[in-house]
Amino acid sequence: MTFVVTENCIKCKYMDCVEVCPVDCFYEGENMLVIHPDECIDCGVCEPECPAEAIFADTEPGLEKWLKLNAEYAETWPNIAVKRAAPPDADAFNGTPDKFQYFSPAPGQGDGAEETQPTPPPEPAPQP
Amino acid sequence: MTSCPGVDCAQAPPDPTQLSEDAIRLLVDRFYAKVRQDEELGPIFAGAIAEDAWPAHLATMRDFWSSIMLTSGRYHGNPVAAHRPVEGITPALFERWLALFAETCAELFDQAIVAAFMDKARRIATSLQLALFYKPEHDRPRAAP
Repeated sequence: MTFVVTENCIKCKYMDCVEVCPVDCFYEGENMLVIHPDECIDCGVCEPECPAEAIFADTEPGLEKWLKLNAEYAETWPNIAVKRAAPPDADAFNGTPDKFQYFSPAPGQGDGAEETQPTPPPEPAPQP
Repeated sequence: MTSCPGVDCAQAPPDPTQLSEDAIRLLVDRFYAKVRQDEELGPIFAGAIAEDAWPAHLATMRDFWSSIMLTSGRYHGNPVAAHRPVEGITPALFERWLALFAETCAELFDQAIVAAFMDKARRIATSLQLALFYKPEHDRPRAAP
């Protein structure tokens, strides 16, 4: 069992959820977040934190599409546990219908933006 | 009153209708004192957590329950990975854990708070058990030979 991020997160991405998640199971796309179903411990702490009311338990009916989308993109998008500012037009999109047309499969920046720097090559092993 | 070495068991939470960091601390300390003395759970925990690691474990558990019940965001970890290497862990032990947790909650809090704790505890226990014990191949009928 897991919680699932659904349509109203698209273009809202308030990110309040990522700060309260005890197991850091949110992953960030360009304009939406998803939950990794194998990492979520079903505690439900995130659900009431979402200003867009986009998070549901997977026991709710009709979430198959979103469960699949969460599982798929959690594998490729970067992890996010630190909240940043929501998109400037987040409030304007909150609750608007048919938001899936805006869904972007591109990854977001995640927490590790600075970690995308190439790591320096390892020191050569000392000669005996 | 159960004897809990190192824990002030006589101390009741200031208000059984209010959740607070202090109340969670008391719950966690008292609960794990019971766990360590429990016939079923005690040996499993003793095998997984060394004597000198208990203060750190209790601190982690206070952070965990604070994050769950007060959304403090203090705990960040991977409970599934933490439970995977535990030797002798079984679904029956999860039931024993839940029973002891319910008993301890009921000593400290009113019915509404006990229910809130147990809702979270049961959800998390189910989720951990799915992660630890569920084998998808058991869902499918065996292929004909």
